[in-house]
Order: sequence, then structure tokens, then C-alpha cells
Amino acid sequence: MRELGGVAAAAYALLLLWELRRFRAGESAFDAFHAMIADPLVFAATLVLFALVLVHAVTWFMLVGKAQPVAITRKPMPWKRAFGINVALWLVVSGAVLFLFYGGI
Amino acid sequence: MVWGLFSLGGFITAFLLPVVMFVSLAAVPSGLWPADRIGFDAYATRFADPLFRIFLFVLIGGSLFHGMHRLRHILLDTRLRRADPLLIVVCYGIAALGSLVALYYTILADWFGIRVPFL
Repeated sequence: MRELGGVAAAAYALLLLWELRRFRAGESAFDAFHAMIADPLVFAATLVLFALVLVHAVTWFMLVGKAQPVAITRKPMPWKRAFGINVALWLVVSGAVLFLFYGGI
Repeated sequence: MVWGLFSLGGFITAFLLPVVMFVSLAAVPSGLWPADRIGFDAYATRFADPLFRIFLFVLIGGSLFHGMHRLRHILLDTRLRRADPLLIVVCYGIAALGSLVALYYTILADWFGIRVPFL
């Protein structure tokens, strides 16, 4: 499941690349692309990709603390604390992306 | 080098990709955001920002390398070990080609005036 999340990320990256290509082709091409991904079947498939990527991200945050004890402190940090720090960082980074590129919440 | 790109891609995929997917797949369809925030004009405004172009290139390239490395290892685990030379070419080829196309669209075409006829 977690490894499929990585593949889902690549699949969505190809979708982002396709969107970029359609954007470069002009407004009507861009709108046609968005009409295509709004199709219920395509939209459902992308929601599955989203769920897989979320699982992949959360399990990655868990693994970071488990697989490689954080070396900021002298003693290895408990993985739950490392996970909490990663999730907090994730929220901050996500907020920054929303603020910088999407005009905030 | 491939391991480094995979690892960096994992970081990018975990930290940056979910929020971008959230905007397109949850915020707008659920009515939380108006649709024009992901429309052509909004995209064009974002694309005018050099930081967004770099962000988009890093996001696409990182996610591709991470995911295609994962795909290669999933396929290796399904008794395709003898096909590994082919998997290396196909998986990393797609990741490299996709990253180059993203680099072309985000940076090379406008900042350096490079033109590729078929893109």
C-alpha cells in the first residue's frame, strides 16, 4: 500500500505535467483538460491517487523517526516525537505553499 | 545518484504534493474554494512568479523520480528481476524525460528562449 503511494505520486506528477503542457497550449486547451479531469470516473481515479499519496506521506513521516533516529539531540529521538515534528513541519510547509501560490486559505 | 534523487523525491512527495492535490481534488470540488482559483487566469498569475515555476519543476521531477524508483522495485519483487536492465531504462527514462519536459516548460522556454519544435 505504502509503495503504491509512491507510484501514485508519479502518476499525479504526469497529470501535473500534462496540465502544464495544456496551459502552454492556451486557455481553451487548459479548459478542455480541466473538463476531462472533472469527468466523474477520472475524478474518482484521482481521488484514489490522493488517498494513496496521503498514506505514503504519513507513513513516510513515521518511518523517518523509526529508520533513522534524529541526530539533533544526543540521544535518539523517540519515533513518535520525530513523527509529530514531521507532521507539524508538513502543516507549516503546506500552509506556506497555500499562502505563497494559492492566495492563502 | 538515483538513490539520492529517490530520497529527495520522497521528501518532496511527502511535504509538497499532498497540499497541491488537496487544492485541486478537495478544496475546489467540495465548494471550499471557488473554481476560478484553479482556472486559467489564476494559473497564469501563479506561473508569472519565478518561484512557482521552480516549485512546479521540483514537484514534478521529484515525484517522478521517487515514484518510478518505487515502481521499479515493486516490479522487481514480482519476479521480474531478469528484466531489471529494461526496467531501469523505462522507469528512469520516464522520470528523466518527464523532468526535462517540466524543466523546458517552466524555465528553459521562457528564460533562455530555447525552443523544441514538438513540445
